[in-house]
Amino acid sequence: MSSPISAAARAADVWKVYGSGEAQVIALRGVSLEIERGKFTAIMGPSGSGKSTLMHCLAGLDSVTRGQVIIGDTVVTGLGDSGLTKLRREKVGFIFQQFNLLPTLTAEENILLPLAIAGRKPDQEWYQTVIQTVGLSDRLKHRPTELSGGQQQRVACARALAARPEVIFADEPTGNLDSRSGADILNFLRRSVTEYGQTIVMVTHDANAASYADRVVFLADGQIVDELTDPSADAVLDRIKRLDLSVQAAAE
Amino acid sequence: MIKASLRGLLHRKLRLTLAIVAIVLSVGFLSAITVLNDTLNKRFSGLFQTLNENVAVQVQAKEVSTGETPRLTAAQLQQLSNVDGVNGTSGDVSDEAVVPFKKDGNEVTAQGFVGVGASGDDPLGLISLREGTWPKTASEVALSANTAKLAGVKRGEIIKVFVSQVGEPKPYTVSGIVEFSGGRDSLAGESLVIFELGHAQEMFYGQKDVFAGASFSADSGVSQEELKKRITAALPSGFEAKTGDEVTEEQSNQLAGQFDFIKIILNTFAYVAAFVGIFLIYNTFNIVVAQRSRELALLRAMGASWGQVTGAVILEALIVGVVGSTLGLAAGIGAGMWGESALTGALGAEIKSAGVVVSPAAIITAYVIGILVTLIAAFVPAIKASLVPPLAAMREIARPDKSLKGLSITGAALAVPGVGIALLGLYASFTGSIFVMGFGLVLALIGLMLLSPLLARPVVRVVGMAVAWGQAGKLGVRNSLRNPRRTAVTAIALMIGVTLIGAAATVVSSFKHSLQADIGKYDVAIMIVGPNYAPPNGKTGFEASALDKVEALPGVTGAEPWWLTIESSIAGQPIPVVATDVAAAQKMWKLETVGGALRTLSAGEFVSDHNTAKSLNWKVGDSVKVRVGTTERDYKLVGIYKATPSVSGPVFGLPAVDDFEGKLAYQGFVTVAPGTDVAATVAATEKIMAGYPGVTVGDMSTFLKQFNQIFDFLLLAVTILLGMALLIAVLGILNTLLLSIVERTREMGLVRAIGLSRGGVVRMIGVESILISVFGALLGLAAGVGIGVLLCQALIEGDFLTEIVLPWGNLAAYVGAAMFFGIVAAIIPAWRAAKLDVLEAIAYE
Ligand SMILES: Nc1ncnc2c1ncn2[C@@H]1O[C@H](COP(=O)(O)OP(=O)(O)O)[C@@H](O)[C@H]1O
Ligand SMILES: [Mg+2]
Repeated sequence: MSSPISAAARAADVWKVYGSGEAQVIALRGVSLEIERGKFTAIMGPSGSGKSTLMHCLAGLDSVTRGQVIIGDTVVTGLGDSGLTKLRREKVGFIFQQFNLLPTLTAEENILLPLAIAGRKPDQEWYQTVIQTVGLSDRLKHRPTELSGGQQQRVACARALAARPEVIFADEPTGNLDSRSGADILNFLRRSVTEYGQTIVMVTHDANAASYADRVVFLADGQIVDELTDPSADAVLDRIKRLDLSVQAAAE
Repeated sequence: MIKASLRGLLHRKLRLTLAIVAIVLSVGFLSAITVLNDTLNKRFSGLFQTLNENVAVQVQAKEVSTGETPRLTAAQLQQLSNVDGVNGTSGDVSDEAVVPFKKDGNEVTAQGFVGVGASGDDPLGLISLREGTWPKTASEVALSANTAKLAGVKRGEIIKVFVSQVGEPKPYTVSGIVEFSGGRDSLAGESLVIFELGHAQEMFYGQKDVFAGASFSADSGVSQEELKKRITAALPSGFEAKTGDEVTEEQSNQLAGQFDFIKIILNTFAYVAAFVGIFLIYNTFNIVVAQRSRELALLRAMGASWGQVTGAVILEALIVGVVGSTLGLAAGIGAGMWGESALTGALGAEIKSAGVVVSPAAIITAYVIGILVTLIAAFVPAIKASLVPPLAAMREIARPDKSLKGLSITGAALAVPGVGIALLGLYASFTGSIFVMGFGLVLALIGLMLLSPLLARPVVRVVGMAVAWGQAGKLGVRNSLRNPRRTAVTAIALMIGVTLIGAAATVVSSFKHSLQADIGKYDVAIMIVGPNYAPPNGKTGFEASALDKVEALPGVTGAEPWWLTIESSIAGQPIPVVATDVAAAQKMWKLETVGGALRTLSAGEFVSDHNTAKSLNWKVGDSVKVRVGTTERDYKLVGIYKATPSVSGPVFGLPAVDDFEGKLAYQGFVTVAPGTDVAATVAATEKIMAGYPGVTVGDMSTFLKQFNQIFDFLLLAVTILLGMALLIAVLGILNTLLLSIVERTREMGLVRAIGLSRGGVVRMIGVESILISVFGALLGLAAGVGIGVLLCQALIEGDFLTEIVLPWGNLAAYVGAAMFFGIVAAIIPAWRAAKLDVLEAIAYE
C-alpha cells in the first residue's frame, strides 16, 4: 500500500498521568511514535520507565491523559466501550506475560476464541499454517493445565495470530520462560513478521529479546530517549549501558 | 496468626458480607417463627388469665361417663356455695354455636360464638352491664358490646338468634349491652348472647334449675388449693373440681393445641430453610477458603503449623457465625413482631398484647444453628486447605478436577437401596411401614445429592444447548461445568425447595383428578355442608327435618342427612364418628360390600371401610369401644365396605346421634331425577337452609371447584412458606457467582481484551446462573415427582386416590421460575463483572 498512512499504529504527544496531588505519577511525557506496518518493534527501558503503560495506551487498553492514539484508520482516543470492543475484535491481538488462556477451553478452542467471539469463521488454510508454525498440531486437544509454560505461550501467540489483527501487542511474552522456550517464542514472532507480514509491538527489558526486532525504541522516565534499527543484542546492551549512565547522571 | 486471620477477614468485605447474609437469612427465619410462636402463646394465655381472673375453683362434669351427662341442680349449687371459704358462686349455663343474625338476614361473623344464661350481675365480676337491663323474660337477650356492633343492633331493637337445640332462629328484644372487666367489648373478638337464666336452661338442658358446672371465688386468705379440697369433699358424684390456675392452664393448652398443627408446619419450613442455609454457608466458606488457599499456603511456607492455619479459618468462621447469628436473631425478632401484629390483626385484635417474648430457647437455637453450621461449613474446607502442600497451592489455581468417583459410588450406594426400601415400605404392610418408606426416601434423597456433581455434567450440557447462544453462552456453559461440586452444592439448595413443592404439586394434582373422577360416578347432584366456625359436634349444621322439605322439591329423588362429630374416639383412636342411614348411603354412594351387610343400623351397630378395618384388625362381629363426647359404649361391627375417595371410615346408625352434643346434621346429599333444573333446586334448598348459620349448599361442580380451590390454596401456602428456602437458594447462586467472578477476574479481563463485549460478559454469567438454577430445579422435580408418585401410590393403596396425574403445567412453571430466579441471581454478579476495568482485571492478583 502506498497510502500516506503506512503506520499500523501511531501515538501523537501521548501523556499519561496516574493519580493526583502528592501521589501523582507521570508515566508518559509526550510520547510520539509510529509503529510501521509489517515490522517487529520492541519497546525497551528500565523497570518503571513506562513501557507497559505505553503499550496499554497504544492498544486501547488504557486511556491517555493527553494526546492521540490511532490504530490503522481508527482513532482510539475517546472510543467508548463498544468502540473498544470492536477495535479488539478487528484490529488488535494480545500476548500477555502469563495467564493468557482460559482453563476451561482446549488449546484449539483458545486459539479460535477471538474469532468465535467476533462471530467470524476461521480461514482454515491460515489456521493450519499458524498451528504448524507454532508447532502445536499434536497438542490441540489439551487443556492449558496440561501444557508447559512455553507451550501455553505458543498457544497465546497462535491465538493472537489466528485473527490476523492489524497489530499484535506483546508485553514481556518471554518474561516467565526459560531461555530455550523464550527463544522459540521469539523465533516464532520473528517468522510471523518476516513471512506473513504481521505487525508486532513487543515490550521487553531483555536485550537479547529486543535483538529479534526490526527496530528498538528506548524509553526512560516516560520519554523516548533513543532508537535502533536492525539491532544486534550487543548493540542493544551497549545502548542500555549508555542510557543507564545518563539516567544515573540525570538523577545525580 | 490470629491477627493475620482477623486482618484477612476485614480485607474481604464482599465475601464477609455474603457469608453473614447467608447466616442471617437462615437464622432469621427460624428465630422469627420461634418468637412469633412464643409471643402468640403468651398473648393467648393472657386471654384465659382474664377469663378466670376471679375463679378460685371450677366444678365440671367428669371427663368420661356412661350414660347421661350429669347436671348440677340448683339445690346442689346452693350447697356448694355454702362451703366455708366460698365468696361468690356462678352457675355455668352456657353453650357454643349460639349465632346471632344481622338485620339483613345473614349470620354474624365472629371469632367464636357463645350463649349463656344469667339472672343478673356476674358474681365473679367478669361481665357487667354497660347499659339497659339484664334479660328478664324468655323473649329478651343482652349482648356483649362487640356482638351488638357486629350485628348492627342497638338496645330495644330485635335480633334473631340461632340456638342449635331450637333449630329455626328466634327473634329477641335486646334488653341491654354488657362489657367485660376493664371495659372491653369482647375478650377475643367473639360473639356473646345472654339469655334469661331459666330460658337458657330450658333451651340448653331441657329443664329449669340445672347447671353444667360452677365457678367459685374464694374468701380472702383461702387458697385455691384449700378451697378445692373443701369443695371436692362436698361434690355430687360425676363431678370434679379444679383450681382456677389448673383451668387456665388447661384452656391455654387446649387453644395452643389447636395452633400446634400450624406451629409444626411453620417449624418444618423453618428447618427446611435452615437446612438450605447450611448449603449456602458451606458453599460460601468453601469458595472463600479455596480462594485463600494460596495465602494459607504462604503462611504455612513461613512456618505456620497445620493447626494454626486450621485454627485461623475456624476462628474466622466463629466470628462470622456469632455476628451472623446475632444479626439473624435481631432480624428474626423484628420479623416475629411484625408477624404477630399482622396475624393478630386478623384473628385476635381484641386480645391485649402481652409484649414480644424472646425465650431463651429462641436465643439458644439461633446461636447453636448459626455458629454450628458455620463452623461445620468452614471446617471441611479448612482441613482441605491445610492439607494442600504449600508449594502446590502457591503454584496457583487450575487444580485438575478431583475425581467424583468416591462421591458417586457412595451416592449410588445410598440411592439405590433407598428407593428399594421406600418401595418395600410402600407395598409391604406392617406397622410402621410408612416410616420405612420415609426412611428409604431420605436415603434416596441423600444419595441423589451425592450423585448430583456427577449428574451436573450431562444435564448442564443438554440444558446448555437450549439456553446458551453465541460464544458467550458457550463460555458460560463451560464455566458452570468447571467445578461440578460447586455447581451441584449451589443447585442442591434450590433442589430441596423444589423437591417439596414438586411432591406437593403431584399429590394435589392426583387428589383433584381422583376426586373429580370418583364424584362423577354417583348420582349425587347437590351437597349441603355445615359451618366451619366450630368443630362439628352436632351443634352446628341443620335439622334433619329440613331435608324432608328438600326431598319434597320437584325432581328430587333422595335427600340423606349425615351427622358428624369429632369429639369422639374409636378403639382409643381420635377418629370422627359419622352417622347416617347406611342402607340409603350404600345406594347413593354405590358402596361395595366386602363383608357382613350394609343395612340400616340399630343401636350398638356400625360398619367400616376395609382399610380402617384392616389397619385396626377388625372383623365382622367384633366389638369396639366408641366414645362420643363423654359417653362410651360398645359397638358391634356388622359390615365392611370398600373405601372410595368419597366415602371411607367407620359409619354408624341414627341411634348413635343420641350421644352427640346436639342433634344437628352436618352434611346432606341430594339426588335428582335426570332433567331436573339443578340450579333451581340449589336455590330452593338454600332458602330452606337460610335459617341455619354457616350452612352452604351447592351442586357438585361448585363443590369440586371449592375443593380444588382448597387444594390450590394449600399448594400455594406450601410454595409461599418454601419461599424463604427458595430465597436462600437464590442467594446461594448469587453468592457462588460473585465468588466465582472474583476468582476469575483475570479471565474476565482476558476475554474482554480479546474482544468479548460487556453484553457478552453479562450473557456468560447469566447462562451460568440459569444453568445452575435449572439444574437445581430439574433435580428437585425429579426427586419431588418421585416422592409425590410414591406418596400417591401409598394413598391409592389406602383408597384415598384412584389415579396419579402429574401436574405438567406446574412442573413447567417451576422450571420457568427457576430460570427467572437464575436471571435475577445473575444481575448483581453480571453487573459487577461487566464494569470490571479490563486492564485492572488482567493485572488482578
Ligand atoms: N495503575 C497505576 N497507578 C499508578 N501508577 C502506575 C500505575 N501503573 C503504572 N504506574 C506507574 O507508572 C510508571 C510506569 O509504569 P509501567 O508502565 O508499568 O513501567 P514498566 O512497564 O516500564 O516497568 C511507574 O512509575 C509505575 O509505578
Ligand atoms: Mg511492565
